[in-house]
Amino acid sequence: MIEKLSAIGRRALEEVQQTSSLESLEQIRVSLLGKKGSLNEVLKGLSGVSAEERPVMGAAANEWKKKIEAALESRKVVLEKERLEQQLQVEKLDVSAPSRLVHRGSLHLVTQTVRRMLQVFGRLGFDVTLGPEAETDYLNFEAVNIPADHPARDMQDTFFLGPGVVLRTHTSGVQMRSMLAQKWPVRVLCPGAVYRCDHDATHSPMFHQVEGLWVDRNVRMSDLKGVLEFWARELFGAETRIRLRPSYFPFVEPGAEVDVSCFRCRVKASDSCRICKGTGWLEVLGAGMVHPKLFEMAGYSANSDGLSGFAFGIGVERIAMLLHEVPDLRLLFQGDVRFLSQF
Amino acid sequence: MRVSWSWLSEWVDLTCFKSPNELAELLIKRGLEVEQIERLDQGFENVVTAKILERSPHPQADRLSVCSVSLGAGEPLQIVCGAQNMKAGDHVALAQVGASLPNGIKIGESKIRGVSSFGMLCSESELKLKDESEGILILSPETPLGRPLAEILGKNDTILHLKVTANRGDCLSHWGIAREVAAALGQKLKKTMPPLLKEGGGPVAIHLEAGDLAPQFYGCWIEGVTVGASPDWLVRKLETLGLRSVNNVVDLSNWVMWELGHPVHAYDGDQIRGKTLTVRMAIEGETLPLLDHKTVQLSGQEIVIADGERAIGLAGVMGGGNSEVQLSTRNLFLECAEFSPRSVRQAATRHQRKTDASHRFERGIDPAGLGKVMSCFASEVLRVAGGKIIGSQWVKVGSRSDAEFQRPEIRLGLYEIHDFLGFSRDQVLLSLDQVESYLEGLDCQVVREADQWRVRPPSYRWDLNLKEDLAEEIARSIGYDQIPATIPALSSTPVLDISSIPQLTLQDRAKDSLVRQGFYEALNYAFTSSESLDRLGMKSAVRLMNPLSEEYEWMVPSLLPGLIRNALSNWNHHFGSESLPIRLFELRPVFSARGAIAASSHTETGVQETWKVAWALSGPRYAGGLRSDQENVDFFDLKAVAETLFSDLGTRGIRFLPFSASRTGGNPLFHPGKSVEVLAGNAVAGHFGLLHPAISRDLKARADLWVAELDWAQLLKLSRGASQVPIYQAWSEFPGMERDFALVVKTDVTVDKICQVALKAGKPLIKGAKVFDIYRGSQVAEGMTSIAVRVIFYDETRSLQEMEVEAASTKILDAWKREIGAELRG
Repeated sequence: MIEKLSAIGRRALEEVQQTSSLESLEQIRVSLLGKKGSLNEVLKGLSGVSAEERPVMGAAANEWKKKIEAALESRKVVLEKERLEQQLQVEKLDVSAPSRLVHRGSLHLVTQTVRRMLQVFGRLGFDVTLGPEAETDYLNFEAVNIPADHPARDMQDTFFLGPGVVLRTHTSGVQMRSMLAQKWPVRVLCPGAVYRCDHDATHSPMFHQVEGLWVDRNVRMSDLKGVLEFWARELFGAETRIRLRPSYFPFVEPGAEVDVSCFRCRVKASDSCRICKGTGWLEVLGAGMVHPKLFEMAGYSANSDGLSGFAFGIGVERIAMLLHEVPDLRLLFQGDVRFLSQF
Repeated sequence: MRVSWSWLSEWVDLTCFKSPNELAELLIKRGLEVEQIERLDQGFENVVTAKILERSPHPQADRLSVCSVSLGAGEPLQIVCGAQNMKAGDHVALAQVGASLPNGIKIGESKIRGVSSFGMLCSESELKLKDESEGILILSPETPLGRPLAEILGKNDTILHLKVTANRGDCLSHWGIAREVAAALGQKLKKTMPPLLKEGGGPVAIHLEAGDLAPQFYGCWIEGVTVGASPDWLVRKLETLGLRSVNNVVDLSNWVMWELGHPVHAYDGDQIRGKTLTVRMAIEGETLPLLDHKTVQLSGQEIVIADGERAIGLAGVMGGGNSEVQLSTRNLFLECAEFSPRSVRQAATRHQRKTDASHRFERGIDPAGLGKVMSCFASEVLRVAGGKIIGSQWVKVGSRSDAEFQRPEIRLGLYEIHDFLGFSRDQVLLSLDQVESYLEGLDCQVVREADQWRVRPPSYRWDLNLKEDLAEEIARSIGYDQIPATIPALSSTPVLDISSIPQLTLQDRAKDSLVRQGFYEALNYAFTSSESLDRLGMKSAVRLMNPLSEEYEWMVPSLLPGLIRNALSNWNHHFGSESLPIRLFELRPVFSARGAIAASSHTETGVQETWKVAWALSGPRYAGGLRSDQENVDFFDLKAVAETLFSDLGTRGIRFLPFSASRTGGNPLFHPGKSVEVLAGNAVAGHFGLLHPAISRDLKARADLWVAELDWAQLLKLSRGASQVPIYQAWSEFPGMERDFALVVKTDVTVDKICQVALKAGKPLIKGAKVFDIYRGSQVAEGMTSIAVRVIFYDETRSLQEMEVEAASTKILDAWKREIGAELRG
């Protein structure tokens, strides 16, 4: 029987070695080790073997079984590896085919720019407040020192909605609302849409402003300069310089137009610079020290001696157009995906 | 305002400036914005005066001549010329080689039909002296030769275009600008004024009846003048400022205004009827013919100058046509007066005549300067037009003394300016003596006392009233660039009373959610046309009283007209056969009326601003991929946008109602069967769905457009607050069980209903019910739908037993049968 066992075993090992597919390997396993497999058949014959021989035979049979199982296993590993390799040979994507892209969206440039500004100023301690776009003539003009029949009204062509009701020409009314709503100190930014009757490549009947107001004891004009310089450097780069020029806005005194050095030509102005037109400077905002008349209008009492403040107003579209080199203001309001998707 | 360099040079020495640009820089630094520097001799370089020595026909061309031209010295030049109006001996304008003419022609050495030409004889149109001209310009025979033409024509000047701010009426003349330049340079003015006129006499009595609106009036009578053409110097001066010459007297009145800043007027003295002249308020309905040959009807709010019978001038705005100085005029009445800025502005606005005069009166003239101005005006009239002064009267309301024309004194602490501007008190530029010299340079009277100054600004500086005004004067004297940059101290007092940051935070959340979902933020104008609203069946209650055009006449009642217009225009410029993705959103207020639109208090306008969030969706579901991936979006993509938005905002308690179930009946903008009404609690918060097919067809929409508009405030009420953070919730550690059911229901039973019934009947073990397949067709009876539902059970504290899930399932099935007539599909 030993011989018979050995013969089966040797032949099995040979067959395993020669098998070239996982399927036939499985067949071999079943035919040898299955319930009706040949090895089992041999073991069934053990019942006819003497008691002395039986353990020997049993041990031999088990040994063969283990050998065959080991051989099967190692052959299986080899064949699986071969099969995977074959499979990998065949499985190939054209990775250059188009992807199932999801849609990308973006915030409007005005929103992006306002957010950046609120962030920068926010780090200096400004709060934010919003106000209505339809505003009373009183808050838009009178309360900020632009009385009726004053030539300063010519500075802003105003849309009227009804008697004493305008579309705000600046967000200064919100500054006033802030001061009316609370005692100083006040440190607020007022972002929002404003309106003026003007329409061309550089004027839009609706545009956006971020105005800032800082009121406290002993606020100095140098503080205004420092705050604006900080803002300009954050937005346009560390080397940016600012230039204040005397100007007139009825709600501030002294008043200033503020230029930032051209971030494109940096130190040396270049005649060919399409951003600053060779001047080296970009006019970006108006600012000044809060006119005492506004404190009076806000009901800040006369005993608030030493009270002072500064205010500034920045055109959002102007900044966005400079930073992103947008040539025509109207592009911002057309909802054109070719434009919106660029930012 | 236009300022002539050479005119300004009469007042102040400008030789320290290397170029007009340097002067412009100084003015800008002092707050006078220079918008443009215009060289009048632009294009006149290399154009000189010359004389034709000889003119002979061109050998090759009948229409051309060959001229020999002399510049006075040197060899004559040969010039080929096509004009016919010149002859030998004529003085002409020669553009030499290298000239680049005002009309753009560049002159080079050339050969014309074989004859060399070393320049060009110019016509007036080529020099842009006239729009059209025939032949070349022939100069007077006295013209010196070889001189720059610009000099001969008085064009060797530069004009600075200033944008003078509304507070600086005193800078609207050459004198005014000269004062600024002199102050900056520490110079004295070069010009002196003629002596004041001797007051008294005159044939007409002057009465002031408008009180403080016309507080003083200076009249002067001159007899025997000769009105005629102005002398060259006067014509040129006005021309450089863009003014046309009328006659010598009218031109002089303009000259006085541009010289001294005070508008003056000359009347034909013989037209003043009744020997009396009154400054009074107009009578309502009164008519007045003006110098522009149009007659205005007065409201009664205007100040007029009237003679014994009628109004002859609209005070501060324009003279009357009935008293106009003409060539026949022999006797003059000259006026120099002070009128209320406000009244002049109202009159100029009411009658739509914003004149150079009204511009100056609105901003305030020098009330103490009438005498100087009149003496200057009168003496120039005598010099230019002859005649003799027969009387002059300076009339003032009440018993005004000269002191009343002075500005009030301002008190200023010695170091207040240092502290206010942010300078240290030892700043050299701001020593006390320096501060005084800056102010005195600006004609202020300064008195230093122990710890303060008393400063009296000059009478012409209406803008200097407060110490802050003086701070600006000091700051611009030393230059704003000297001011240091500091960061202000933060006080610890909170400033959050009125913060909008929570509101903005939520807006940002919504915008970010929509951007993540592949939407672009659009910004549309807040006004639109009634036509664009009509087409969508909308109306606006808020109208602009002065719109730019019909296109922008009505404040938008909804964000959808804008987004729909955006979709249409995107489609319009889209080419190719692929469908265009439209994914746009907007978050902005819309406008309606809350009663009458009028200011009922300082803060109340009657306009209601309601914030809305809206979006529009169309086109392929994915941005890229093969055709099999490129299916177009449908209602359920639109619904997903809303649900994702609510999830990002933490919004709870929102329900979607089909229009058929809506109490309000839905919204006519939408397809009634493919849209929903959104309920926030019990309130309608908006709608979303397919744009109504009839509207779509009307607008020629290229594809299905899915739109949504929701009331932002309603959503916020049900959303997580800006300061609320999500709170952690434990999940079940025990496995759940699922049961799938295939139901057959009547087609009008909604998925929502099926799930609701299950969720109620399967309590407490049921944790979810969702429909995963919907089938209508040949496999089920007509009018019926097969719906596959998966029900999920679990308990957070233990594993479930098969038995209890079976029991729960049975209860759910019973409920389905009872409440919606559902049967298990066989």
